[in-house]
Amino acid sequence: MQAFLDNLSLAFGTFAAHPLRSLLTLLGIVIGVATVVTMMALIEGLRVKVNRDLSQLGANVFRVDKWPAGIQIGKRDWQKISRRPNLTLADRKAIVDHCPSATTASASAANHAQRVSTSSAETQPNVFVVGVTPEYSETAGITIASGRFLGEAEDVDARPVAVLGPDVADRLFPGANPLGQEVRVRNRPFAVVGVLERRGKILGLFNLDNMVMLPMQSFLSLYGKKRSVSINVQAVDADSLEKAQEEVRRLMRRRREVPALEEDDFEIATNESMTKTLNELSQVITAATFGVCVLSLLVGGIGILNIMLVAVAERTREIGIRKALGARKRRVLAQFTTEAVVLSLVGGAIGIALGFGLAFLGRWTLGLYTAVPAWAVALSLAMSSGVGLLFGIYPAARAARLDPVEAMRAE
Amino acid sequence: MALIELEAVTRTYQVGTESVRALRGVCLKVSRGEWLAVVGQSGSGKSTLMNVIGCLDTASSGRYRLNGHDVSHLSDDELADIRNREIGFVFQTFQLLPRETALANVELPLVYRGLGARERRERARAALEKVKLADRMAHRPNELSGGQRQRVAIARALVTEPSLLLADEPTGNLDSATGEEIIRLFEELHRMGHTLLLVTHEPRLAARCPRAVRLSDGEIISDGPGREVALQNLRDDPRLAAPEPR
Ligand SMILES: Nc1ncnc2c1ncn2[C@@H]1O[C@H](COP(=O)(O)OP(=O)(O)OP(=O)(O)O)[C@@H](O)[C@H]1O
Ligand SMILES: [Mg+2]
Repeated sequence: MQAFLDNLSLAFGTFAAHPLRSLLTLLGIVIGVATVVTMMALIEGLRVKVNRDLSQLGANVFRVDKWPAGIQIGKRDWQKISRRPNLTLADRKAIVDHCPSATTASASAANHAQRVSTSSAETQPNVFVVGVTPEYSETAGITIASGRFLGEAEDVDARPVAVLGPDVADRLFPGANPLGQEVRVRNRPFAVVGVLERRGKILGLFNLDNMVMLPMQSFLSLYGKKRSVSINVQAVDADSLEKAQEEVRRLMRRRREVPALEEDDFEIATNESMTKTLNELSQVITAATFGVCVLSLLVGGIGILNIMLVAVAERTREIGIRKALGARKRRVLAQFTTEAVVLSLVGGAIGIALGFGLAFLGRWTLGLYTAVPAWAVALSLAMSSGVGLLFGIYPAARAARLDPVEAMRAE
Repeated sequence: MALIELEAVTRTYQVGTESVRALRGVCLKVSRGEWLAVVGQSGSGKSTLMNVIGCLDTASSGRYRLNGHDVSHLSDDELADIRNREIGFVFQTFQLLPRETALANVELPLVYRGLGARERRERARAALEKVKLADRMAHRPNELSGGQRQRVAIARALVTEPSLLLADEPTGNLDSATGEEIIRLFEELHRMGHTLLLVTHEPRLAARCPRAVRLSDGEIISDGPGREVALQNLRDDPRLAAPEPR
């Protein structure tokens, strides 16, 4: 124990004696570790954020859609997908009527990049206009900040009412109560009946607050009826989620007359399936990161090898003296190995600090969500000490083998 | 039984194709508790002999028995342990660690003995006090005079209280008053029963030793009471008779 402490203080002494030289040597390790920490922070941030966004979908909900959802990896036959028949409001009704494991289902359809206005103000043409059936408030986990959500009768009669996202409300009615006021979408008037709770952005990109919700029928009369809707289905509970999916799948295949051996001509996406594609993506990024990291650690390791060989050559006399005074081989070996490990651990620590810095920078400047996972820190420290050990052992062995008399003659 | 027993020990250095015979068949017996001076001209092999006796170097041929054990059978680590536990070495060129303080230098042999930090510090401090360097403990070698460095080297050799003390020109850089202090220290160690081997150029110092050997060209050419060998050395090498500068 005392020997270990002695070696440790010697190692830090060496670092203090040549700080600049040591730092330059460590560059490879610093870069390698900083890369790992930064990329892992990004991936972890993505994962945490997506999980949180997905959980906003509402409990035990899955989505039936014409188009594949989320991030797609691998080839899909997009032409074939575009020839699929649309999902309709009748499909939603059929699911509610015929699938016992589904408590409720909502339909929704959306148009991007819309401009919303009042007589005195207007938004940028970037508002997301969504047509929804009343059940959407449950299946999408919607909460209302003021006013109320869209009702059944309003949908059936295609009444001109709207619920605003908080960003739209702030933009059109700054400092005023938007309830009861009129907004215009595509030059048609809608009365504001509610304002949504603030939800933030998905992945820091898609703004959930910059939207307007209309009754489904109003939306369809505004933008045209020939479009596919997305159907959110809520299962009775978590245990019947899979059963509900199976019921919906069978029902939809029958309704759309899919031949027995053909694959589904619709998509069923759950939180899990979207998380899965995300995980696949993060695995690809992780693999690429480790490629970069291994390369820079190799460079760093060769730096360690070099500086330790220099150190042993420079300090031949010191080694001779230590051996003459009774240092055993293993002790000298341990001293120089400890030095190499401490050196590369310092590099690892700097790299971790840099990684944290870059992650924060990404958050401040790009608004990316980042979180450095604890295991990435542990892994970085383990990797850098491994590199120190691997590349420090040879110079240390050379030091341990020196002949004391000859070494003491060295200048 | 003799503590040190050399039988026909040779040490040959290979320099390129040439071989330098630094020791050519040295026979020497030193009993426990003896105080022996080694004199001889520069290059006669004194330091080489000390290295062999101090288990730092091994004989090319012949046999060296320390305390009855043939050291040629010992491993490097066993030799390191012997150096650490039994032998104190004052090197001709001090061999202090330049980056460390005087105190840390003196602590060094205790580090390899496995002592705790506090005990090391106390013993090193006591050893430095013995050589009158209590006020220079925190200085590094390049902040010390030649004589002070020599005293640090002596303190380092004494700190382990070795049973065998080897000193290569321990008073070479000291003024006569300080040199005298060191000699007193050696006399005290001798009285306490330590075995001392002392390389010196100074006939006055050799004359004070109970026994002296004289080396010439790697061979022992005389062995006897210190006074006699010193006188003989003086006769053969008049340069040494020059009065010592003060
Ligand atoms: N490492 C070595 N390689 C080659 N020759 C050596 C080596 N060490 C010593 N010698 C030679 O061995 C001989 C004895 O050297 P040594 O150092 O023992 O002399 P010395 O009696 O201590 O001299 P001094 O009084 O000057 O210190 C010298 O001729 C020297 O050149
Ligand atoms: Mg010499």
